[in-house]
Amino acid sequence: MTETIKIKKGLDIPLDGAAERHIVDARSIERYAVKPPDVVGFTPRLLVAEGDSVVAGQPLVADKHDPRLFLPSPVSGTVEAIVRGEKRKLLEVVVCRNTQNIQNTQSNQNTLTPEAPIWWMIKERPFGTIANPDHQPKGIFISLRDTNPLAPDLDYALKGREQEFEAGIKALEAFATVHCVKADGPHPAGNVGTIVAALDPINKGECVWTVNAQDVANIGRWCLTGEYRPERVIAVGGPSAKAPHYYRVLCGACLKRISEAQLIDAVYPNLNTQNTPSIQTRIISGSPLSGTTVAPDGFLGMYDQQVCFIEEGDHYDFMGWLMPGLKKFSFSKTFLSGFLGQIVKMSKCQKADGNKDSLTFGLFDSLTPHYDFNTNVHGSVRPFLFTGSFERVFPFDIYPLQLIKACIVGDVELQEKLGIYEVEPEDFALCEFIDPSKTEIQTIIREALEVLRKEAIA
Amino acid sequence: MNLKWLEDWFEKIEPKGKWSWLGSTYEAFHTFAFTPKTVTKSGSHIRDAVDMKRSIIIVVIALIPALLFGMWNIGYQTYTANGTLSTFHFPLSTCFWFGFLRMLPMIAVSYIVGLFIEFAFAQYRHHEVNEGFLATGLLIPMIVPVTTPLWQLALAVAFAVIIGKEVFGGSGMNFLNPALVARAFLFFAYPTHMSGDSVWIANDLWGSDAIAGATPMGQLATGAHPSASALDMLIGTIPGSTCETSVIAIALGAILLLFTGIASWRIMLSVFLGGGAMGLLFNLLSTFHSPLSTYMQLPFYYHFLMGGFAFGAVFMATDPVTAAQTNCGKWIYGLLIGAFAVLLRVCNPAYPEGMMLSILFMNCMAPLIDHCVVAANIKRREKRTATLGKEVHNG
Repeated sequence: MTETIKIKKGLDIPLDGAAERHIVDARSIERYAVKPPDVVGFTPRLLVAEGDSVVAGQPLVADKHDPRLFLPSPVSGTVEAIVRGEKRKLLEVVVCRNTQNIQNTQSNQNTLTPEAPIWWMIKERPFGTIANPDHQPKGIFISLRDTNPLAPDLDYALKGREQEFEAGIKALEAFATVHCVKADGPHPAGNVGTIVAALDPINKGECVWTVNAQDVANIGRWCLTGEYRPERVIAVGGPSAKAPHYYRVLCGACLKRISEAQLIDAVYPNLNTQNTPSIQTRIISGSPLSGTTVAPDGFLGMYDQQVCFIEEGDHYDFMGWLMPGLKKFSFSKTFLSGFLGQIVKMSKCQKADGNKDSLTFGLFDSLTPHYDFNTNVHGSVRPFLFTGSFERVFPFDIYPLQLIKACIVGDVELQEKLGIYEVEPEDFALCEFIDPSKTEIQTIIREALEVLRKEAIA
Repeated sequence: MNLKWLEDWFEKIEPKGKWSWLGSTYEAFHTFAFTPKTVTKSGSHIRDAVDMKRSIIIVVIALIPALLFGMWNIGYQTYTANGTLSTFHFPLSTCFWFGFLRMLPMIAVSYIVGLFIEFAFAQYRHHEVNEGFLATGLLIPMIVPVTTPLWQLALAVAFAVIIGKEVFGGSGMNFLNPALVARAFLFFAYPTHMSGDSVWIANDLWGSDAIAGATPMGQLATGAHPSASALDMLIGTIPGSTCETSVIAIALGAILLLFTGIASWRIMLSVFLGGGAMGLLFNLLSTFHSPLSTYMQLPFYYHFLMGGFAFGAVFMATDPVTAAQTNCGKWIYGLLIGAFAVLLRVCNPAYPEGMMLSILFMNCMAPLIDHCVVAANIKRREKRTATLGKEVHNG
């Protein structure tokens, strides 16, 4: 049933702080949030008020355009807060669990329908919206390997849930052919966009559905038992995490307890006091390449399965353009670290060949660079000058630079011709990472897709 | 190293209020001293350490071997031509200092004129000053004859920066290589100073007097065999433009550019392939051609060693802004540059060196090449959609 594909183009970013293999059960976290902005194209209509009591799986917000689509409460409890941002945009609906794990009353078997509380876990491409029940997808794609930096090992995360996973697949097969794909190769091999492009690229007018592997198990559980429990094993790590490891949580969980355990210098919970810590840490829900910044007491994103702690890089770098840069990571090998990295790589190849010389290899191993990563942009914004590097990390039959430029100038026709329907912003994350011009490529792609999406529904 | 005082000083002198129009200049110097402390706001939270400054500085570093050898060769040519070198035991370092003093004013003029215009345009547009000229400003004095008068150089730099680049919107928007625009300007505006046999060797430390001495290509254009051996040309101890004679020094720069990934290996390789293929073609034709032309019979690799071929292939054709931008397009672009350069050399005696014109011509063609390459991708996609439509229709 599992298909495999091999991807060559890409880049694995050597970020420190990978999660160690032990899972801490954090399902007892009390507060949860549903975040409508995480769901592309979802116009929320609030169904509850502060103080209402809700049960797990009960709709909290519905989509204004399609009332069948809604975001349910992950737990049973009380609606604690409704958080709004600028222009009264609904940001979060916070639910506080007030009784110990009230199970859903129904415990019979279920079939997967658009009215089911787990429907929101099925996403649709192009655009990355919740799957539209009126559309006929040409396939449902599930990636069995997350290749994002510091991402969880899905085999490990799904251990013990095989039966639920099978049931989830069976439920999804009622809608279209399901492709479970294990991609081999560097990031973005495991991105579902890469997989779709490799197996069956999306043409204009077509759509595919995609589901996170862990959510397939959640769908399976719901189908088997009728219980809505959106459980995820998340990888918590990053260069600034104290003890990177896995947590088992429910989606939308408050990260306060995790932040307290992970933040070095115990920056939190003293954030409100006068002594500002010397090093600020950014907490990212989702991949460091495309996730969202959250507060230490913020909530896990709707579709995220990792949390990353990384140092804020808001400091100057003296003559960064001239210094050797032994600890700087660059795809381009323009720093000495790239030169050393190459030597180490070559020595490792030789070692694999069985040509052993312990003295030199010991030396080379000690030279293996440990890169400093932070959130500094490392430069100023410039026009596109250099070409050819995007193609090396972008495994699509698409000309990335040309598509980005078409998006910048807003030429919709050209975007369609160049294959905009095959991509999502996250597919351009590595291009954005390596870009010496420091262009906000994911934002550009997202905005272009939004224009197309609004045109499509109009 | 604690540079807090310098960070604070820069923050203190940041132009505000009535001085805020100086923002671009301030920003240029500030980012020269410190990579900014901007943090990511959207998209990828972590970013690659490389930026435009770093990329451009790699090009400048790659030019240094050719620059240093060129300086030495300027002196070497002068002292050989006036006989000093053979008359007594003469320290070779003197050759270098002679060349160094000849090159220094040229480099200074190029940077001062060019950067002044760059800063003026950036200020006027409230843009940040782009780093691109750091490479261009060094390239221009490296590809002109050593006897070029400084005022001509200044005019050429101004022409290149304004007409070659800024009128299109600055670095990244130009379609012609600015350094070659400067050279082409000199070539057509002051032909007597740019070609012939008496421009390549400086007579003395100052002034634009020259000693007669033909380049290998100059000799070939008259039908003679080049007097220099292939080894001389490889090492670069021949008359020529200031810093483009040594293929070995250029190769050192090429290694750095290719290792760091700053220059495209596709372009570099294909220029040589194209030039070599054209050279071989001429060798083949020469067997049918009567009377036999010396130029046509020339072994193909001579084309790589003579004139600006190697320098053009490594530093000019690979300029990413003016080259083709698609990988497939780069192959076509490079092959044609090499082929046209050799074609011009052999078949057009009016232009002894074809590399400059060949690259400029292909600069103009690069967008067309890319258009065709991208059109093939578009067609493939349309075909996919079309077959899909048919399937639906049949089903």
